[in-house]
Amino acid sequence: MHQVRLIRSSTFLWALAVAAAFALFVVALFTFVYWKLDDYLIARSDRMITTQIHFIADLPPARRISAIADHLEQDSRGVQYAGLFDAAGIRLAGNIDHLPRELGLGGAVQGVRLDLKGRPAVQVPVVRAIGRRLDGGDVLVMGRNVDETREISSVVGEALALGLLPAFSLCLVAGAWLSARAQKRVEEVNQRVQRIVAGELRERLPEGGTDDPFARLAAIVNGMLDEMETMINALAGVGNDIAHDLRTPLTRVRLALERGRTHAATLEELQDITDKAMAGIDQSLAIVTALLRLTEIENNRRMAGFGEVALDEILREVCDVYEPIAEDKLIGLGVVIARNVQVWGDRDLLFEAVANLVDNAVKFTPSGGRVELALEAEDDTALVRVRDTGPGISEQEREAVLRRFYRSDTMRNTPGVGLGLSLVAAIVKLHGFRLIIGPAPGGQIEILARIGRTGRAVTRRSRTLVHADSD
Amino acid sequence: MNRILLIEDDTETAEAIVAELTDRGFEVQWAGDGVDGLDRARRSSPDAMIVDRMLPKMDGLTVIEALRKDQFRTPVLVLSALGAVDDRVRGLRMGGDDYLTKPFAIIELVARIEALLRRPTDDRKTILHSGPLELDLIERTARRGDRELDLLPREFRLLEYMMRRNDQLLTRAMLLEEVWNYKFVPATTNLIDVHMGRLRHKVDGPGEVQLIHNVRGSGFVLRSRQ
Repeated sequence: MHQVRLIRSSTFLWALAVAAAFALFVVALFTFVYWKLDDYLIARSDRMITTQIHFIADLPPARRISAIADHLEQDSRGVQYAGLFDAAGIRLAGNIDHLPRELGLGGAVQGVRLDLKGRPAVQVPVVRAIGRRLDGGDVLVMGRNVDETREISSVVGEALALGLLPAFSLCLVAGAWLSARAQKRVEEVNQRVQRIVAGELRERLPEGGTDDPFARLAAIVNGMLDEMETMINALAGVGNDIAHDLRTPLTRVRLALERGRTHAATLEELQDITDKAMAGIDQSLAIVTALLRLTEIENNRRMAGFGEVALDEILREVCDVYEPIAEDKLIGLGVVIARNVQVWGDRDLLFEAVANLVDNAVKFTPSGGRVELALEAEDDTALVRVRDTGPGISEQEREAVLRRFYRSDTMRNTPGVGLGLSLVAAIVKLHGFRLIIGPAPGGQIEILARIGRTGRAVTRRSRTLVHADSD
Repeated sequence: MNRILLIEDDTETAEAIVAELTDRGFEVQWAGDGVDGLDRARRSSPDAMIVDRMLPKMDGLTVIEALRKDQFRTPVLVLSALGAVDDRVRGLRMGGDDYLTKPFAIIELVARIEALLRRPTDDRKTILHSGPLELDLIERTARRGDRELDLLPREFRLLEYMMRRNDQLLTRAMLLEEVWNYKFVPATTNLIDVHMGRLRHKVDGPGEVQLIHNVRGSGFVLRSRQ
């Protein structure tokens, strides 16, 4: 089964195709080489016998017979043929038995069968020969055996065939190896993906140490899996947080109602119990509402309400709203506006973001402290700063405070659902602004905004949250 | 007696609303779907309507739109489980006069229905009177009898809003939306109480009859008629 799969695999089939193409190419090359070689050797033979016939023909008749004898004597390989015949066709000299009939005597070289003196008829070779009638009626024939050309060609052919077979086999072996390797990797990826699907979120695809496309693809997919794992864990965390944060007020409600049902003796007591239960339900609803708002903002569904917004007005208004609350806690609340600034955004959302920051500042600043709002502007950037004399946010908590439902130990007993800064971060992100959390002690949070209608982002690829001391 | 038409498909919710409004002296008709609700609205011309957004057969906003096309001026309170700001804006654009997100306190619903039925006193007046209180909207001055009240701009707006709705229960949510223009629930939930406390401190001096009353668990009311 495994072998069948291997043979059917596309890698192996490709290797087979490449090997076949290679073999065809080699055969074609060999044919071409053979043809060129044959052509060259025959032309060379033709030139040689033409030269020889001219040489002997130009000799005086008395010298021709001895010249032919010398010529044949010097031919150690036995490939030269010569014959001198009288006008009646009687051989006068040479190793050609009789004048071939099909040989023209016009001085053109042609392939003919020559009957050789002292050789049986079965061994009559096909040779290149040239015939010429001489002065006085004699006929001179010169020839040369070209079988050696074919010998050379067959040697070359054999060599190529011997080389071709290992090359073809090597191609097939390489194809089979590559196919097996690819199949092994795919099989491994399949198994790992199945494990991921089954819920093993930490599983990753094998990248190997190579830099091939497969490894690069695996690296990209692993990056995606990292991101997804983070998001799924965050979601799971949020789910737990929601469950935990809803259970607390709902438990209070249940306990209050239970006690009321058992112990309330008067209408007033029952109303007290009911008030407590309703407060718990309101707290639960506040959590759900805040979560829905957060989702709504994070889903970027609020871009429709964007327009020119006067940041200075928002700051003054927030200050106006929170002044009595700060005063109640004996906290000084001031606003300093360097100049009026217009930004592109959703007025209500920006108001909510600044209000949340001020709300937090007032909530966490001890009595007798101070909260300051400031609006600064430089070139095309505006900076909203909310600073307080409270404990501030420690470096370890800077990322955590933006998480949904995060409530530090110091905040456990303060009212709220732990979504304020998450909302601020979501609003800031929606606007393409940046949130800068300053170092403790003393709280300091800044929103860095782009002035005017520039659409998105103070810096296009900047993160929403920046640590003040990271720049 | 004010006649109110309630179009709500959830029987339990409808029964609770009908019972509460009937106890408060309203005559209530109930329709369980959009088509029946539209039909009843056209036949009986109620004084106010409470319309749920998601209804069988015809959704609430379509009902309101059809009525507005027929020149029905009946004030409508839209009920919805969709609490997103955009949904709220859409509900008001389609002809709703007020919008209440589920789940709601029954007292909130009653307060809003009463506010819809008793439109504020003529807003072309430049001087408002409520018992001993006098508010000059041009001069931006406030008096209680002979005593001048030193109000901050926000307090002035709050008092104006309350004087225009004399003897009406005003819930915290209503005040947040109308006076503070808040489109969200603020983190500090006692925001209104702090502001109201300061206003009350200025309006109701020592020894004077209390005009601004806190209605337990519901909101505030300005009672000028003692």
